[in-house]
Amino acid sequence: MVSLARKNLLHDRLRFVITVAGVAFAVTLVLVQVGLFMGLLDKSTVTIRHASAELWITSRNTPNVDFARTFPETAVLRARSVPGVARADNLIVAFMTIQLPNGAAEGALVYALEDFGAWNLPWSVAEGSPLDLKRGYALLMDRSAALRYGPFATGEQREILGRRFRIVGTTQEAASFTTTPIVFMDYRNAQELQEQLRGNTTYVLVKLSPGADARAVQAELRRRLPYNDVLTRDEWARQSRDYWVKSTGLGMSMGVTVFLGILVGIVIVAQTLYTSAVEHIKEFGTVKAIGGSNLAIYRILGEQALVAAVIGFALGAFFSYLARPLMAAIHLNVLLSPGFSAVVFAGTVLMCLGAALFSFRRVAGIDPALVFRT
Amino acid sequence: MNDTVLAVRDVTKVFDEGRQHVHVLRGITMDVAAGELVALEGPSGSGKTTLLSIMGCILTPTSGELHVAGRPVRSRDEAALRDVRRQSIGFIFQQYNLFPALTALENVEYSLNVRGLGGRAAHDEAKRVLARVGLGDRLDFLPRDLSGGQKQRVAIARALAGAPPVLLADEPTANLDTATGGQILDLFQDLAKGEGRGVLVVTHDPKVRRIADRVVGIRDGRLVDADQEKAAA
Repeated sequence: MVSLARKNLLHDRLRFVITVAGVAFAVTLVLVQVGLFMGLLDKSTVTIRHASAELWITSRNTPNVDFARTFPETAVLRARSVPGVARADNLIVAFMTIQLPNGAAEGALVYALEDFGAWNLPWSVAEGSPLDLKRGYALLMDRSAALRYGPFATGEQREILGRRFRIVGTTQEAASFTTTPIVFMDYRNAQELQEQLRGNTTYVLVKLSPGADARAVQAELRRRLPYNDVLTRDEWARQSRDYWVKSTGLGMSMGVTVFLGILVGIVIVAQTLYTSAVEHIKEFGTVKAIGGSNLAIYRILGEQALVAAVIGFALGAFFSYLARPLMAAIHLNVLLSPGFSAVVFAGTVLMCLGAALFSFRRVAGIDPALVFRT
Repeated sequence: MNDTVLAVRDVTKVFDEGRQHVHVLRGITMDVAAGELVALEGPSGSGKTTLLSIMGCILTPTSGELHVAGRPVRSRDEAALRDVRRQSIGFIFQQYNLFPALTALENVEYSLNVRGLGGRAAHDEAKRVLARVGLGDRLDFLPRDLSGGQKQRVAIARALAGAPPVLLADEPTANLDTATGGQILDLFQDLAKGEGRGVLVVTHDPKVRRIADRVVGIRDGRLVDADQEKAAA
């Protein structure tokens, strides 16, 4: 079968290139923007996912893991007494100010535990060991901090809230949603730094005994700690993610970006297909005169939209995947899953077919008698 | 109407333009027999294109009867008219109306695809009819690379594909030089006499008059004596 659709597309190469470029641009915009957003959201729960705690005890209504609030550290004792709890430890998460060698001050998100090894925190150590954190005023600093703090090396010293700390090692992938670098230090050292942390904690991490019913333990912890929230790992991760998506307008902003990407794609595809349809109106009249139906013409336009969608998506996806290592070099994680890519592909096909509908209306009323007009 | 392939009986066509009724055809009756080449002459606005459109099942008459390939065409349904066009009528246009993105072969093959023939059969039939019109060596040429006469031959091949018994041509030599126009008319004559098709040619070209079996004149929507029509023109 001869494909008039594809032949016409390739015959007018410039228009074809513009159409495909428009689709590719829209696809790249959506994939990279949403991928960046997903990457950021991934960061918002990175410590929750890596920590080996099955339950998290937080102060009441803590919105997300970064915005921790204090409560008495004795809560951990009550948690340890609950049947089904194998281990429970205090965890301090707190924003603190770090002094840089150039005199500037920056923020750091401090994670402080008594025994890091028991909780898989930090999960990726590049240099040094969490055990070294017990040796005086020591800290592990994430490599992503170089972007905010400038270059640093193990053995150097940095001042946090007026106290000098020695960098005893470095970690990887430990950056918060706000891109504030995560710094790991000993629990007692952290308490020493801030008045409000003395005798207080911000979380209690809970590990369950083998075979324990998580829901039952969660219910009992809630009963014994009525002024706290007790959340499973998944609940806590979802709550942290939802905070950034819903409460900060980032979700809406992302929605607008996606909408604009789709709009750009629809406008470009609709415009080029419509112009093409108008320019080929006499050809479509001929198709009808020789016995073709409106459906035959819709198929031509639909096939053209489909070809633009497939090639445009392939190019857009190629550019997006190409952008990942470049973005990673500046510590921006573009998270592109096959599932999300499939959704964008389906959306691209629908977008292009939707754009073709504008042309359908134009060609539906073609009078085949126009073939006799000169 | 045993060997009549195209017939109209007392056909009228009225177009409504606002509150006005424009009578374009006023009771036309005429036949085209198999193997006959009929020339239809008339000045601009006489109704010849409207008559051609009705005979080609592109327009429906306001009243009157139409018979194509021996069968009455009573339906006003677009799908039914389309079927008649597909099965029984080949069109040849003044501007050729070829698809610029398709080669000569593809132009003819696509027409066969629209008529319901696909695959190898369509490919072979397209080659055969192009060879029949003398373009066997121009199969892969795009229309832009063909001369006016060659383009019209491709258009004729497209009309011939599927072997419709009726060929309707609208000013087929208007854009061609004298020599090329003569060759195209020879081809028309051959299609009528050699293949037994009924050919109706709408024309102003005096050469058509010389080869036509009959010349029919039309003026103000009525058939007139062609010589009288010529004198009036």
